[in-house]
Amino acid sequence: MTRSWSPLRVAVGGALAAWAALFWFLLLSGRTSLYLSSRTAWVVPVGAILLTVSAAGRLASARTGIPEPLGRRTVWGLGFVVLPVAVLLALPPATLGSFAASRRTLSTGLVTTAPNLETGGPVTLASVAAAGWSQDARRSLIRRAGTSVTFDGIVARRDGQPADEFMLTRFIVSCCVADALGVQVRVVGAPPDRFRTDEWVRVSGTFYPVGREVVVDAAAIEPIPRPDNPYLNV
Amino acid sequence: MAVTQSRTRIQAPQLARTDPAWRNGILVLAALAAAALLVRLVNGAGVPAVQNFILVFGSLLVEALPFIALGAAVSALIEVFIPASAFARLARLPRPLQMPVAGLGGFAFPVCECGSVPVARRLLLKGLTPAAAITFMLAAPILNPVVLIATAVAYRGRDILWPMVLGRAGLGLVVAMAVGWVMATRSRGDLLRDADPARGAGHDHGASGDSREGRWARYFGQLGADFSMLTKYLIVGAAVASALQTFVPQSVIGGVAETPILSVLALMVLAAMLSLCSESDAFVAASFVQFGMAAQLGFLVVGPMIDAKLGVLYAGTFNRRFAVTVTTAVFAVTLAGSLWMQVLFG
Repeated sequence: MTRSWSPLRVAVGGALAAWAALFWFLLLSGRTSLYLSSRTAWVVPVGAILLTVSAAGRLASARTGIPEPLGRRTVWGLGFVVLPVAVLLALPPATLGSFAASRRTLSTGLVTTAPNLETGGPVTLASVAAAGWSQDARRSLIRRAGTSVTFDGIVARRDGQPADEFMLTRFIVSCCVADALGVQVRVVGAPPDRFRTDEWVRVSGTFYPVGREVVVDAAAIEPIPRPDNPYLNV
Repeated sequence: MAVTQSRTRIQAPQLARTDPAWRNGILVLAALAAAALLVRLVNGAGVPAVQNFILVFGSLLVEALPFIALGAAVSALIEVFIPASAFARLARLPRPLQMPVAGLGGFAFPVCECGSVPVARRLLLKGLTPAAAITFMLAAPILNPVVLIATAVAYRGRDILWPMVLGRAGLGLVVAMAVGWVMATRSRGDLLRDADPARGAGHDHGASGDSREGRWARYFGQLGADFSMLTKYLIVGAAVASALQTFVPQSVIGGVAETPILSVLALMVLAAMLSLCSESDAFVAASFVQFGMAAQLGFLVVGPMIDAKLGVLYAGTFNRRFAVTVTTAVFAVTLAGSLWMQVLFG
């Protein structure tokens, strides 16, 4: 009996291969951290291997003895399945910005303890997040008021905020960007209109908890490239 | 043999020239290239809402798709390698025993909700009773060790740690069994949108089209069919969830935090809108400090059972009434259970 390539099986194998290629691309280009936390990054190599094996298996068994027509509707259906691959490959590296900060929950229960504060280590944005949640962490943070800090984050601005202030913002991601929660500190003493919204900056200065907020009196602010891990992970 | 191989070599290019599928394929590739170009142009224009939408959409897919692939792989394994008699034995168990056994199956198959849908569909097709298959599908994303540990981590150091962890597991099982019980009288044909075991969006008949094919060819045919069907619905669901996350501020529900029943309903609706993974949703729930225990518990039980992307997956897998019945039952039992837990432990 004659066996020939089934266009249907080749197309399904191609769709699986396209998704496999996306996962290999994320893995090799280091872009996993733009979408997932370090805790869930393992799904990318697992997905890459699983999809590669699936595509190889489908293509290896793509010759059949009976005709399998590939209808127009099926071709477009498989094109739709591959559409996100094209979109994500075309998207330049990007992270959540000030727009997300304006629409997401900012108090965060992701960080419930702040061991750095207890041991005299550096105050971090994770410590600030913990202080927004836990009374113990907040008391520890207050005890450290007036000490020097260095925070990296993006510039966000609230309506009516003075020109020499901005909200330094960082997102904490547990699994993927969809569950991102923001942590913000108010930076005062910034050069007016020097930094663009969504620009990555490093702020050095002294910090003071004021009410529910943490204020950083900036001594130096410098632009920095986007970090390799733009989100804080827990 | 040599003649057969020679014919095969000749037929492939002939197919390429004559089959209209190639013309459609080229059109699809052109459309994909146009979509990629459009994304570059829109991103270059710097529209924050669009960038936010694509990032959330991409992250939901990158996280969920390996689980869809895993679910399709397990589903195909069940179809091709496990005889129907294995499920017939389980189906002979008394129903009151079937449902808790199926619900606790999550400990053996710890995946997110996206992976449990194709497995439940396959279990139904292999002869497991609707009550057991639906109970497994709804309970597995909650009653698995990874999710319960994540819940414990999110609530560590708080008085409601154990009520939240045990309440989530217990209420999750009760809700899943209640919905399974509601579905118990339905037949497989009533529940499934398409009860043809080999059928998928790609309509890949590799599993059954050629009865002389080997088991592995049928396995990969089944896997490809399930993958293409479920991915199509996952894409639509992820797009809906991303749009909700982008355009509906989370602060809109803050105003009802102090209202007893409304606050629980508000967080259950929010869970359905956000479409978070069940392994991460506890961290988000724990951040709603202004809401009481019942509302947070409702968020944690409803989210893995009903959300925007699951709604579309259900619509593609089950018949039209299924999503409505499941949503109604899950919301009603969760609301009652959460309030009862609040009375006991709040």
